[in-house]
Amino acid sequence: MNELRELARKLLGDGTVKVVIGYEEGPRGVRPAMITDPAQAERLVFDARCVHNLATYLNPRRPHLARLGKPAVVVKGCDARAVAGMIRESQVKREDVVIVGVRCGGVVRDPTMKAALAPETVSPRCGHCASREPKLFDHLLGALPPAPPRPAGDDPVARVEQMPLPERWAFWKEELSRCVRCHACREVCPMCFCAACVADKSRPQWIETSSTPRANLSWQLTRVMHMAGRCAGCGECTRACPSHIPLSLILAHVARHVERRFGYQVDDDPSIPAPIGAFKTDDSQEFIL
Amino acid sequence: MNLYQPQLMRIEEIVDETPDTRTFKLTFKDRNVAAGFGFRAGQFGEYSVFGEGECTFCIASAPTRKDYIECSFKAAGKVTAALRRMSVGDTIGFRGPYGNSFPVDQMKGHSVVFIAGGIGLAPVRCVIWNVLDLRKEFKDVTIVYGARSVKDLVYKRELEEWGARKDVRLVQTVDPGGQTPDWKGEVGYVAAVVEKVAPRSRDAFAVVCGPPIVIKLALPVLAKLGFTDDRIYTTLENRMKCGLGKCGRCNIGPVYVCKDGPVFTAAELKELPPEF
Amino acid sequence: MKTKCISRADLAALVADLAAAGTEVVAPVKSRDGRALDYRRIGRLEEAALGEVALPRRSLKELFLPASEVLLRYRLEKDDVAIEEVPATFPPLVILGAKPCDAAGVEVLDKVMGWDYRDEPWFARRAATTIVSLACPGVDGVCFCSAVGLSPDATKGADVLLVPAEGGFVAEAITPRGEALLASKRFAEGEMPVEAQAARAAAKEKVARNLPAQPTGFHDWLGERFDHAAFKDIAQRCHGCGACASVCPTCHCFDIVDEPEGLDRGARRRNWDSCATCKFTLHASGHNPRATQNERFRQRVMHKFSIYPRRFGEVLCSGCGRCVRACPAGMDLPEILGQLFRDAGGAR
Repeated sequence: MNELRELARKLLGDGTVKVVIGYEEGPRGVRPAMITDPAQAERLVFDARCVHNLATYLNPRRPHLARLGKPAVVVKGCDARAVAGMIRESQVKREDVVIVGVRCGGVVRDPTMKAALAPETVSPRCGHCASREPKLFDHLLGALPPAPPRPAGDDPVARVEQMPLPERWAFWKEELSRCVRCHACREVCPMCFCAACVADKSRPQWIETSSTPRANLSWQLTRVMHMAGRCAGCGECTRACPSHIPLSLILAHVARHVERRFGYQVDDDPSIPAPIGAFKTDDSQEFIL
Repeated sequence: MNLYQPQLMRIEEIVDETPDTRTFKLTFKDRNVAAGFGFRAGQFGEYSVFGEGECTFCIASAPTRKDYIECSFKAAGKVTAALRRMSVGDTIGFRGPYGNSFPVDQMKGHSVVFIAGGIGLAPVRCVIWNVLDLRKEFKDVTIVYGARSVKDLVYKRELEEWGARKDVRLVQTVDPGGQTPDWKGEVGYVAAVVEKVAPRSRDAFAVVCGPPIVIKLALPVLAKLGFTDDRIYTTLENRMKCGLGKCGRCNIGPVYVCKDGPVFTAAELKELPPEF
Repeated sequence: MKTKCISRADLAALVADLAAAGTEVVAPVKSRDGRALDYRRIGRLEEAALGEVALPRRSLKELFLPASEVLLRYRLEKDDVAIEEVPATFPPLVILGAKPCDAAGVEVLDKVMGWDYRDEPWFARRAATTIVSLACPGVDGVCFCSAVGLSPDATKGADVLLVPAEGGFVAEAITPRGEALLASKRFAEGEMPVEAQAARAAAKEKVARNLPAQPTGFHDWLGERFDHAAFKDIAQRCHGCGACASVCPTCHCFDIVDEPEGLDRGARRRNWDSCATCKFTLHASGHNPRATQNERFRQRVMHKFSIYPRRFGEVLCSGCGRCVRACPAGMDLPEILGQLFRDAGGAR
């Protein structure tokens, strides 16, 4: 943590960056912080409550942040995949951001949790973590902690995948019935950066805006399809959803499909193209022919 | 029948004011509703294309003319584009009248100066006709109206009528470069022409409407001429939805534009946070 | 208004009576994974989770202003349009075990819904509904209802207030509608020793500690402080996601859209919307009067704590704290209010 504060002080003090986007202790737990004054760098923290994916704050369409100037952003391995995605898709130039990677041993589900990291408290996404040390960084801090505990209970993605289709349909109909179309899932997602989201387009109205079964399904499925091969698996959409719809399950399910078909997993190397932006001559074509 | 249910209107006449501005003349399909309908100059309505949605325009005709209402619009978004696809005889919806109005009664016995730019003439037109229909009750009537170019001037038929009247001083202008070889009017921005025309501010009211820049530049000119902020009226084109003070969209500072407006004095506008 | 009491068994019988009479009953119910509560329809009292400290995820607002509500239906005919009205009356509903902050929120919204034009859909649902609040057994570190003039056992907006007692509840009728419900034979005259007084007193104390009461004249003070320094970078971490508005008992902004239900017919609906989103004030021309998140967040605070109270005499907030719990970015309204209260109080 001191390493992080030292680095932030230096980066701000010598003008390398104008803002450090990291985590701080808020009144109820950890929350994102935008530090512009080197003297305030001591507010920065890093521990198992640092759940948020801060990559989303690099979205160029946040003018009140963009006007602060060149940022440094604190990322865990999963977050780095999102930064890589934004670079890969030309939303951020690599040289316009300083990436401060932190070695991570898992995070709890909820940044206000006071409990320690344990199978009952660990975030579901840490169960499959393959990137406890970001490979995309300008600085890499911290000692490598032990691997995160496996989340208690069986694999929820597998559980849904194993449901027979009628049961799976009933499950999703019920879950999506709680969707009120607040679009929090989209706003927190680093990869949902479109200036004109398809759901906001009115000519034609591709996706109805109402909270009805048809429109909710239309929205969620479209978003999931747009995330195929791009989703960093950070789980922020699920955490943000005020109705607690388990969006990560379907995103993880689609990610597994992408892996099976294209041998691709979202990576934090921006030079490796995602399947949506590239093709190989031996790509599966069974759905065409 | 709830408060969101519109009346059905028939499109009686379509006039293309400019390449992108169209006026509809509308009548109520229900005679009883037509008989009972009245409004005051400056009020607006929610016009809808069933299947596309609703949008907000002022009622551009005068309350002194019964049996029909008019609205003018540019195709800027989904609903206005759909309106533009409609033909004479088609049915649209109308909810209204909503909002406050220009204080026409208060203006009686005084001179009135109308200043408008571009499509901003639409909300002002209803007051102009309201005043002209009661011409004897007002002193001097001056209209300064301008647009980017000759083809962008709206209500050309009316401009001819007003220009021909002896009891109205009409000065038309186009922006520099917008004139045609046979243009007889002024060439210059609206505010500059107002300064040149220099209407007297004693016992006078001003009604200003247009794109934000026209209003912004006209206000200091009017101040220089001696108009006080409580004698200058404008109408705010704000994003509105329900029109009746429920949906929250048009709330700016302490006012709801659909309830406390859309007509405001310059004094009231200056009290508002710059969020319009 | 008389006080009565009801045993748990009799309350279960009352729920059965209501169901038999065609009255729907909504109560807090545990979610499938047990981690959360939702207000849901119940058939039997056993399905309800009454008297939890935690709040249901969303408020009662959606029972009166649904997330998407049909205002009318239309059918496109050759040269005409036929409008089909939607039902103007609703089946009777009893909300059992409402949080006092949620009941209060509904009453606060009556003001805007009845402002000059009467919002028939809202009031039709109001007319069909009886709200039975249940005094909170405790509060968490976020609740701040007392700062806005409420309390864990507030009666504002309730038709009946239930207070936990030995073996059941003490029931107090607050309104004539509440009296009508208490006329049921399931309620008994007489006393029941009221339970958990110490816990409820502790709850009141704790919620007051969470955030002190608004200083007098706060709404006017805030109305003059549009350019207050607190608003300058207030929303740097805010995503403008609107989760706060969707869980809030008093946020009511909505959009009106037409949506097809067939080639020649459709529905005009009103849908929840939020001033926190960037498109809320976006003009077709591209001009956006509230161009950054800071301005949008300021509007949220101003509307709730100055604009609405100055116009309607009610704070547009019931201190339930859901916005804090739901926010993925750690935006903290009580923290912001605390700063503003201190500043306003200091000005006295």
